[in-house]
Amino acid sequence: MSSPFTAILDAFSRQRGVQASLAVSARDGIAIESNLQIGQDGTRVAALAASLYAKARKAATAAGLGSTGFLQLEAEAGRLCMLGGDDVILVVVGDPQANVGLIRMELIRAAEALA
Amino acid sequence: MIKASVEPWIEAPLQQFVDDAGVVLALLLHPSGQVMGQYGFTRAMDVMSACALAAAIHLSSSELGMQLEGKPFTGLHHAGKDRQVFIAETETRRGPYILLTVFDGESSLGLVRMFFDEFRVNLANAAPVPVPAPHPMLNENFERELNRNLAVLFGRA
Repeated sequence: MSSPFTAILDAFSRQRGVQASLAVSARDGIAIESNLQIGQDGTRVAALAASLYAKARKAATAAGLGSTGFLQLEAEAGRLCMLGGDDVILVVVGDPQANVGLIRMELIRAAEALA
Repeated sequence: MIKASVEPWIEAPLQQFVDDAGVVLALLLHPSGQVMGQYGFTRAMDVMSACALAAAIHLSSSELGMQLEGKPFTGLHHAGKDRQVFIAETETRRGPYILLTVFDGESSLGLVRMFFDEFRVNLANAAPVPVPAPHPMLNENFERELNRNLAVLFGRA
């Protein structure tokens, strides 16, 4: 069974270096749909990524910077890219070789399609 | 200072859960309604009421789960406008306990569930070998134990 997120997440998964992609409920931090590799814990990624994005939004608002758009977290073995709104956050987990520019473009396109 | 738990082994896991999940209130109780640990409550009366209600809600939802699925529901979540409640059971060598927690927009259901899973493991690891109960849980014992636990938590012991 497909949802409005199926095609979006499939498109991320086809990109080089993308390890996982998730559509997460912004309020609850629970994955609505996800494409994961074996061994990945989508529940934890969803909860923590949603929390991080919510905190980033608050920080941007507090600093008078307006709404938050694309958020990227660089880690030792990869990166976490996020974009979302009040209801849904799209999360992409990529390895260091993943093309962030393409991921960002795809996230913006997906967010516009969902809006 | 308000102590977080009646028994010392509960303190660290409960404190870690509160810190990690960023919840507003947390209450660990025995299924009988006896308070075992708390965070965020300032009045003994509130703890007593919350324990009684949580134990009753947990029993009702467990029974509902039995009726519908043949086994008790493992957790219950209620979302209010600003605050949300999560109630779930955790098993230890000392028997089952119920955690009631209240959280707001600073946390989320996903975070609470995730850190509850960790709390469950931490509490089970921290639980000492059970000691035989000194007396049966009669009405008069329940009242005495409840008052003793509340006194410990609110610094009157």
